[in-house]
Amino acid sequence: MRVVIFSWEYPPRIIGQLADYVKTLASQLVKHDAQPYVVTYHDYLTGEYDEPEGTRTFRVNNPVHTHIGVLTWVLTLNQEVERVTANIYYDNKRQVSLIDVHEWHFIPAAVTLKKALNIPFVYSVESLEDHRSHGANTPYNMAIKSIEWLGMYESSKLVVKSGWMRDEVFRLYKVPSEKVNTILPNSTGWLKNILTVYKDVAEKNHLGNS
Amino acid sequence: MLTWEFPPRTIGGISPHVYYLSKSLARDGVKVYVVTCDFPGAPPHEVLEGVQVFRVDSYRNPSPDFATWVYLMNVNMQKEAATIIKDLNGNVDILHAHDWLVATAGIGLKHVFRKPLFVTMHSTEIGRRNGIHFDYERMIHETEAWLTYEAWKVICCSDYMVSHVRWAFGLPPDKQVMIPNGVNADIYARLDKKDLVQFRRKFALPEEKIVLFVGRLVYEKGVHVLVNAIPRVLEKVNTKFVIVGNGYMKEQLSGLVKTLGISQKVLFTGFVDDETLRKLQTCADVSVVPSLFEPFGIVALEAMAAKSPVVVSDTGGLGEIVDHDIDGVKVYTNNPDSLAWGITKVLEDEKHAENIRSNAFEKIQEKYNWNRIAQQTENMYKSVLNEYAKSFWAIKGQRSHSFHETKDTLV
Repeated sequence: MRVVIFSWEYPPRIIGQLADYVKTLASQLVKHDAQPYVVTYHDYLTGEYDEPEGTRTFRVNNPVHTHIGVLTWVLTLNQEVERVTANIYYDNKRQVSLIDVHEWHFIPAAVTLKKALNIPFVYSVESLEDHRSHGANTPYNMAIKSIEWLGMYESSKLVVKSGWMRDEVFRLYKVPSEKVNTILPNSTGWLKNILTVYKDVAEKNHLGNS
Repeated sequence: MLTWEFPPRTIGGISPHVYYLSKSLARDGVKVYVVTCDFPGAPPHEVLEGVQVFRVDSYRNPSPDFATWVYLMNVNMQKEAATIIKDLNGNVDILHAHDWLVATAGIGLKHVFRKPLFVTMHSTEIGRRNGIHFDYERMIHETEAWLTYEAWKVICCSDYMVSHVRWAFGLPPDKQVMIPNGVNADIYARLDKKDLVQFRRKFALPEEKIVLFVGRLVYEKGVHVLVNAIPRVLEKVNTKFVIVGNGYMKEQLSGLVKTLGISQKVLFTGFVDDETLRKLQTCADVSVVPSLFEPFGIVALEAMAAKSPVVVSDTGGLGEIVDHDIDGVKVYTNNPDSLAWGITKVLEDEKHAENIRSNAFEKIQEKYNWNRIAQQTENMYKSVLNEYAKSFWAIKGQRSHSFHETKDTLV
């Protein structure tokens, strides 16, 4: 299995708790021969590619330096994520089993890669805009929610980290429960459950080849 | 072909440009797929004169400002275009984007499908704003720079724009191509001219000459220069000035007209439909393009196609279209005296006007003919596909390098 993980934060660039979670996930996947590739934002310290503990890590920079907000920053960074992932795909005889996208930032890239190259994706939900912005409905928040919605709609499976989040995903986005997998971090069988989701998505790829 | 506007959605010059270019390429046997924004009443998919047109839902995502709307629209455009290309088994040879408005979609598609990307830079942020002053503008400027960096070739419609784009983004000269914009003379030839005398009376008295301005009423179009030139023209020739278009300067301009005491000689029509516009262009004794900044100046070509003598300011791409005193009159930019001199010269000398008319018409049929432009574009595609086929980056085993035999697909 070859899985590409998208996350906007990854050590040494730690913003919240997601960075360490993704790091643990990637290193566990290495041990289980799941061949993870991590694509993340650069941090001025680490180069554009390295392999800490066997995790092939690509760090992309935004070609557009000046921004008016997080949205424009994210939406111009996605093409670099696509470029790096397409390179992984073409360099490995077009064999990428799936993408695991954490949070909403790189959902546009995951959707394009799904449509273009038949790579299915899992959307791992860490938090939702509705909670982060306390239900604010400015066009800015709505835009982020529309990207989250796109991820819920286009993904093959959702992974949430608590029963509460499973209920929230249903309440806010009406995602059918069979699409949502609740996998608690630190729980026994955590990695096994994630691998089961991955295998499921990769094997039941209805998109065609890949 | 990626564009944010395509008929019936027409905001500026990109829409007719992409329409005629695609149509002429399709006539030459190139399979053209246009992906563009939706428009009320226009179908999401149709075949228009041999061109496959796909319109994407572009107002799906709420957006806090125009630039963010553009980037979000590109998410949907890229998604739709990716689906179209995949349905063609990836057998697309070329991606052609128009302006930064489709930058991110074009760049993303280039990388996921590994196909050469072309961009036509119709305008630049630094040119439109006369400099970069705010972060918002700089962000767009940097997006344009990124797009020209990612493109295999950067096309501009005039020599002026070629050098402007080179200056703005520091491009290597061998990356740039000049292919002019075109004009379709047939639409003027096909015009119903029976009631033209009657039509003319709606705008001017029979003894008045008509001087026509067509364009947005904004600063860079120099309408205020024209208004300031009017009293000097009226000293010599009895003329009606017809000003077609809308813009933020409208109030200011009609105030200026009142102050100068020439209200009875100036008519603001606002936005008019295509047929009225074409008839007006046919009736005009002079068509004026007094722009202060003009990357190309398509309205001058339209006037030439309508056989109306043109008086233009010698700026940007506009100055390149006209040879002074041969197929038009060139005047100093931002100079009402010079403009008045040019207009009066054409109005007073019928023979000269007639010469200009016929030379101009000949020129647009030769140089600004869409078939010729499509041919130039196709030649550029072919030579790049040869380069592409030899590159390490090329996807082998697809039909892509046999463009010249099969005249394959492009988006």
